[in-house]
Amino acid sequence: MTASKAGTATEHPSSPAARVALRVRGAVFSPVTVSVVAALILGAIILAGTGADPLTAYGSVLTGAFGSEGIGDTLGECIPIVGLALALAIPLRAGLVNLGGDGQLVLGGLAAVSVGLYSPFPSAVTVVLALLAGMLAGGLWAALAAVLETRCGVPLLVSSLLLSYPAMSFVSYMVRFPLLQKGSGIPQTERLPEGVKLPEFAAGSGAGTGVSVGIVLIVLAAVIYFVVDHRTAAGYEVRMTGLGARFAGYAGVDRSRLTLRLMFASGSLAGLVGAITVLGFPYRMVDGALTTPGYTWTGLLAALLAAASPVGTVAAGFFFSALTIGGFGMEQETAVPQQLTAVLQAVVILFLAVRGGVFRKGGWLRRFGRGPDTAGHPPPDPEAGVLDTGMLTTGVLDTGVAGPPAPARGDGGK
Amino acid sequence: MNDQHAAAPGDIAEVEMRGIVRRFPGVLANDRVDLRVASGEIHAVMGENGAGKSTLMSILYGLQRPDAGRILLRGTEHSFGSPVQAIAAGLGMVHQGFKLFPSLTVTENVVYGSEPTRRGLVDRATARARVAELVDTHGLHVPPDARVADLPIGVQQRVEILKLLYRDARVLILDEPTAVLTPAEADRLLAVIRGLARSGRTILLVTHKLGEVMAVSDRVTVLRDGRVTARLATAETTPAEIALAMTGRRIDLDRTHPAGTPAADVLEVRGLTVSAGRGAKPLVENVSLTVRAGEIVGVAGVAGNGQSELVEALAGLRPIDAGRVLVAGRDVGDASVQQRRRAGLAYVPEDRATVGAARDASLADNLAMGFHRTPPLAGRGGFLRRAAIREHAARVIERFGVKAASSAVTIGTLSGGNQQKAILGREITHDAPLLLVEQPTRGVDIGSIENIHARLVEYRDAGHGVLLVSAELSEILALSDRVLVMYEGRIVAELPRAEADVHAIGLAMAGGDPTRSAAAADPDAGDDASSTAPTTAHQV
Repeated sequence: MTASKAGTATEHPSSPAARVALRVRGAVFSPVTVSVVAALILGAIILAGTGADPLTAYGSVLTGAFGSEGIGDTLGECIPIVGLALALAIPLRAGLVNLGGDGQLVLGGLAAVSVGLYSPFPSAVTVVLALLAGMLAGGLWAALAAVLETRCGVPLLVSSLLLSYPAMSFVSYMVRFPLLQKGSGIPQTERLPEGVKLPEFAAGSGAGTGVSVGIVLIVLAAVIYFVVDHRTAAGYEVRMTGLGARFAGYAGVDRSRLTLRLMFASGSLAGLVGAITVLGFPYRMVDGALTTPGYTWTGLLAALLAAASPVGTVAAGFFFSALTIGGFGMEQETAVPQQLTAVLQAVVILFLAVRGGVFRKGGWLRRFGRGPDTAGHPPPDPEAGVLDTGMLTTGVLDTGVAGPPAPARGDGGK
Repeated sequence: MNDQHAAAPGDIAEVEMRGIVRRFPGVLANDRVDLRVASGEIHAVMGENGAGKSTLMSILYGLQRPDAGRILLRGTEHSFGSPVQAIAAGLGMVHQGFKLFPSLTVTENVVYGSEPTRRGLVDRATARARVAELVDTHGLHVPPDARVADLPIGVQQRVEILKLLYRDARVLILDEPTAVLTPAEADRLLAVIRGLARSGRTILLVTHKLGEVMAVSDRVTVLRDGRVTARLATAETTPAEIALAMTGRRIDLDRTHPAGTPAADVLEVRGLTVSAGRGAKPLVENVSLTVRAGEIVGVAGVAGNGQSELVEALAGLRPIDAGRVLVAGRDVGDASVQQRRRAGLAYVPEDRATVGAARDASLADNLAMGFHRTPPLAGRGGFLRRAAIREHAARVIERFGVKAASSAVTIGTLSGGNQQKAILGREITHDAPLLLVEQPTRGVDIGSIENIHARLVEYRDAGHGVLLVSAELSEILALSDRVLVMYEGRIVAELPRAEADVHAIGLAMAGGDPTRSAAAADPDAGDDASSTAPTTAHQV
């Protein structure tokens, strides 16, 4: 709150102009910016090595992601990626890592599709019920992981991940057997009744864009997360737990209860993403469709990248979505395989992970980026840019149950 | 000041640093510092946190380069680019954090990097023999074959010293060597230092503890704000004079505060037991005590005798196995931390970096903790009022003299003293009937100590009860209206203010019975206590 706003106070900026200058400098030299730029340069070298023209290739990524044909897809891709990034950021803010996003996601999808198929209510009511059922299913499954930690001593990292597998298997069974579409060779459920779907934004031509009002729900979730994080006593307790778990406990924050609530919120959001997905095209649940793209892992990376800060998480999720969609565009335009964008994602993460020597207190880049040094004062995080600069820092993960799983899945699950 | 810098002609100093300047952006860490240390001398380098002692020693040891100035060892000029060169020139340093391999034995740690070899293989027998010989010669009492991880911290420190001796260091730099030691271990270390000086080695002792400087050093160089403010011969000076040079103002070192006027009980503990797990001896055993409003009850004891566990159990951070705890008349035996705080308890923990504060959170956020659910900091519906949080922080900062550029800086960037003032300020602002305080001045500079002590007395006089746990006997004696002594988890003595003196408490701390005379007591315990007394008495 007050901290992140006036983050550069140690510098004693003499004038507002100086303060702005420092902020801009903080943003430009923030680890994220530097990592992204470094990844782009490294990617350019790889591109040049394959004989492609890096500028053309990057240009096609941009047009692919943000051109009139791509922007819809990018926004569509944002629903699962930003949604899951936010879901995983919620507990991460308190230093808790929820690795069970996949399970919570598919349970949410299954609950929603079941309600959608069998609800006796009018379709509008059914849609709302399906969304709520998805949230409840994901939330309860995540809460179970929390209970396993607080009551039985199973580390959350383990309980959430391991609970994910039976959930996925169960959903897979339900889709392939009880709910299987009659006479279909594809492992998918029956199509939802006509009308049971989230409305889509129309494109200019009148055709569906594939962007459902689901994105509004995700934006709403992001806004709620932002307000709770920045403005409420509960959000304050969560942040303090993330920055110092023992401090929070000493001051009377009940960690068990906090874990349970955060995991329920996290799982609910993951379940909501599952529900939104099945309520959109192709209006049914296809086995594996939710988990194969690796949304959970891309989302986790985005959350880690942003140190779970609300604005940063959304920005990082959007960046990864754009990169994915842009990659398809690049493949069509330049014959550069879209996997290169996965490489870029991996390199960004790698640069952030190795920033130790370069970015740590006293490292040359930090000093440069900070301007006049006040000896012995490690720099506060200027929230200046889009993303928090404190990402992947020890601050977030040291307080967690165990170490970060992040860089291992640097491929973004692709 | 007794400026005795001018050395006798022809007298070559073991270590001489001339006109050392070291700038950091915005700070002049060393401003034309001269340091002259004679051979075989124990030379204390004193100063408060941030005075420039550590920078000066890093320059001497080759960890940093000076911007200007010269270093001479026995008259020869040196310029060290790294500690390796400094070690080759006969210097050695023991850092605050030890650099030992916990899983290796003492001998392996000591010879590491310069192992004696025979036909290309490490000659373990010779190595062990040489280490054992060094241990004997210098009376270090370190078992050469023990694993370092199994040794107490005081012994590990002597392993560090052994490493230097093994490399034939002529000049030993010890950086805050007693910071991690119990009073008894500290005394043993000081004895070792004396012995080393007698054997012709030169010791540079970096510290801010007056007691040990008076007890062991020959000469003192005092730094303040990067400059030398005094060069003194220990025998001709007083702690007050050194303190003046360190802080630039008079500090009353022997101040004892007037006694309080106790009223109703605010804490009642009956038969409290905290077990250490199956079969082990309880950490806290059958402890009963009372703290009344308007008094400070001191708990003395060598660290590790159950004081921390007692306080944690009272604060709700550790489960209680038996006994009753009443805070302001309410039974809180199985209450949560939050319920206890509501019942009327505030707590300044020993570990201020990880328990008392969130290092990477802002000062304002740290100060808001515990006030964040109620007005004026919280508005309706659990929404925080940021302006109120800033105002709250500004009030605490102002009232407790916390030095910080603004309340938006992260608390980890403040000095130890200022962090402690902030934490104490926050807990005192809770205005709880009972305040638990653990090691309130550990690692805190001398100027802040005075301030913190005054705050505690003020709090008591405002009609609150304080339970003070401290390893510094001087602190216990200066503040307490009653003194309890803990030994092996039990309270072994309760002394009213009039009867509490260094001797009686020291004896009880070592497990002796303070009601018997020292002569009649167990000779070992008596020894321990009397050797503890002189140093700890001065520790400020």
